[in-house]
Amino acid sequence: MNKVLTSLLSLGVAASAALAADAVTAVKVANVADAAAWSKAKFSSVMLYPQTAIEFNDKKANEANEAPKAKKAEVGALYDGKNIALMVKWADGTKDAQSGYVSTLYPDGFAVQFAGATKKAQPLPYIGMGSDGRPVVVHLQKATEKVYEPNGNKDVGTQLNRQQTGVFGKELADYDAKVASLANTDYERVFVGEGFRSLTEVKDNSIQSNAAMTYGTNGWSGTLIRPLKDGYVNLGGTVPVSIAVWDGSKMGRNGLKNLSSWVAINFEGQKANGAVIAELADSKGNAAKGKEALAANGCNGCHQVEATDPKSVMAPSLKNVGGYSTAAYLRESLVKPSAVVVPGYNRNAHSNTPWYNLEKGKRVSTMTDYSSLDKQTLEDIVAYLKTLKAEVE
Amino acid sequence: MSKRQLAMVMDLNKCIGCQTCTVACKTQWTNRNGREYMYWNNVETYPGTGYPKNWMELGGGFDAAGDLQPGVIPNLEADYGVPWDYNYESLMGGMSDSNSFHPHVSPTWGPNWDEDQGAGAFPQDNYFFYLPRICNHCTNPGCLSACPRDAIFKREEDGVVLVDLDRCQGYRYCIAGCPYKKIYFNPKISKSEKCILCFPRIEQGLPPACAQQCVGRIRFVGFLDDEESQVYKLVHKYKVALGLRSDYGTQPNVYYVPPTESPAKFDAEGKIIEGSTRLPVEELEKLFGPAVHDAIKTLKAEMKKRKETGVSELMDLLIAYQHSDMFRLDNHYYQQVAKENKRNPLAPVDTRYIAGKFTKAGGHH
Repeated sequence: MNKVLTSLLSLGVAASAALAADAVTAVKVANVADAAAWSKAKFSSVMLYPQTAIEFNDKKANEANEAPKAKKAEVGALYDGKNIALMVKWADGTKDAQSGYVSTLYPDGFAVQFAGATKKAQPLPYIGMGSDGRPVVVHLQKATEKVYEPNGNKDVGTQLNRQQTGVFGKELADYDAKVASLANTDYERVFVGEGFRSLTEVKDNSIQSNAAMTYGTNGWSGTLIRPLKDGYVNLGGTVPVSIAVWDGSKMGRNGLKNLSSWVAINFEGQKANGAVIAELADSKGNAAKGKEALAANGCNGCHQVEATDPKSVMAPSLKNVGGYSTAAYLRESLVKPSAVVVPGYNRNAHSNTPWYNLEKGKRVSTMTDYSSLDKQTLEDIVAYLKTLKAEVE
Repeated sequence: MSKRQLAMVMDLNKCIGCQTCTVACKTQWTNRNGREYMYWNNVETYPGTGYPKNWMELGGGFDAAGDLQPGVIPNLEADYGVPWDYNYESLMGGMSDSNSFHPHVSPTWGPNWDEDQGAGAFPQDNYFFYLPRICNHCTNPGCLSACPRDAIFKREEDGVVLVDLDRCQGYRYCIAGCPYKKIYFNPKISKSEKCILCFPRIEQGLPPACAQQCVGRIRFVGFLDDEESQVYKLVHKYKVALGLRSDYGTQPNVYYVPPTESPAKFDAEGKIIEGSTRLPVEELEKLFGPAVHDAIKTLKAEMKKRKETGVSELMDLLIAYQHSDMFRLDNHYYQQVAKENKRNPLAPVDTRYIAGKFTKAGGHH
């Protein structure tokens, strides 16, 4: 029985693995903290799509992100007996690090998200923040830099020669004190989330991790090392992971980012987890038929569907939804609209067109439940939604 | 909307622009820890650029349909101004390189850069008045509506709008959403901070620092549902206190008695033009809405009545003979709230201003 099931599963695995968009291989090494170990890593391309579900109220940021493009990141993974290490490399023409006493600087950053260990692996948590009963762990690193430049001009010409401590000793000490007083300390955060607005910073050191960012030629390289197992996750076999990057020059923060869909990390030498791979499988529907079905069901009454459609305030924009959403998530959203309610503005930001109502403290989507549609039509719509994505930079 | 709402009324006829409120607030809350550039309370010259620079043109607030409008986040150096220090130490110690008194940065902008400039041509028809501003603790706050993290909340017990610094991740949409630009980004902790209406003081029977220190006695503080409070009388009974730019749709809870008294204009020979007034009423209408006309009428009528008969409740209120005539706080109420929420009720540190409607007789002197 077991054998039959396993072989059936592996058949399914082989089929869906071929359809799954991106996957990363984690290579076993002796010690992930050893920098030399990265020479053994196998890097894979992972597409990061602009998250455009909602437009925020920052005028300049909106202008800077009129037509956002997808980015390609190279992701490698290593693991040893205790830890996993991830390296994310992505292009970014400008280095934006949080430094100095300024109000309008947004640092570049990256985040790695893991699905929390739950009894059931499916369905996976929502890609952004997790969902009810389906927690995620998010590691966030933002670029920081200690520079004393009180005018915000990056004017560091007044700095003194550090070798000349005999002459400049006191000035250097004063300078260091000034820099320290600006307190741009390392900005590494770990969060757990179980749905929007529940994201909570882990401050009790129950998650040990070390993230860092280095700027090289025209781009960043970010690394994260964390335990394979702690109170929140249990990594091995096949692990869904999601990567996000922020571009400070485009005033990126929170939703203003590029993120990947759930991507499988396959632990080399370990048994693949068929359930996870199946969950990441693409839709087999007919996108052309789906486009018609979507129009016939009036989805574009509330949603902006394609980038050329008018902007929507009533519901999240779908113009890039195919890039970062799994088919499984899209399927769920059609039949259970309240499973994940994308937050957008507060409800009173658009009080006449709320996209959810509060019922007993729970957010209930105002979207129609499409569970009455037949399976094939739903699958076609999902297939069409999967085609909605920004072009690559 | 909160259960009760604290409000402040500022009488602009009495503001002399001394900045004592600004300093009171600064020393109490904003002279440290990344808040140095912030003025939770500022006094700007109107007409003028204001603080931050041209804040009225930076968007935020709501349109007529109730939709939040996009806004611009001001730049610390160009729009707020970098706070600067002077080289006191080197001058005092006689070790100055230049023997001159100079700031440690070259400032290009700061609050009150255009202080007392105003508008019009001197001496014929120049004019200005002072406009003190704090957070309006709006009933429909733009900052709260803009926050995707739900990090901003309005206290149920008194309507004070606060930032939950644990939830805040420094996205700054609140700054774009606030049409008054009265919420600020703290670059040191990478979170937003704002005027808290001195709630720790109010809960214990002390008025906000800006209001208590005000030498012009222009500020009244109390609950809007307390019909005996000065703020109720000025806002609802006499309708002489009006919200600032209520066209932004946030329903501000800081109210202003518009400046009614301004000198007459001079003609080309420097002679007084009888019956003229320097302050254009259109400017007041822009700030306080069309209700400003009735407010001015009431103020003028009551002033006349007081002159002729010696009796006017409104004038007595606005004169504020005693410090305790300006505030009706409610420590007993907060004690009740604390008990209901299983928090430790705080004893008053000052009983002079505790006169609110939930205060038992004999609870103050």
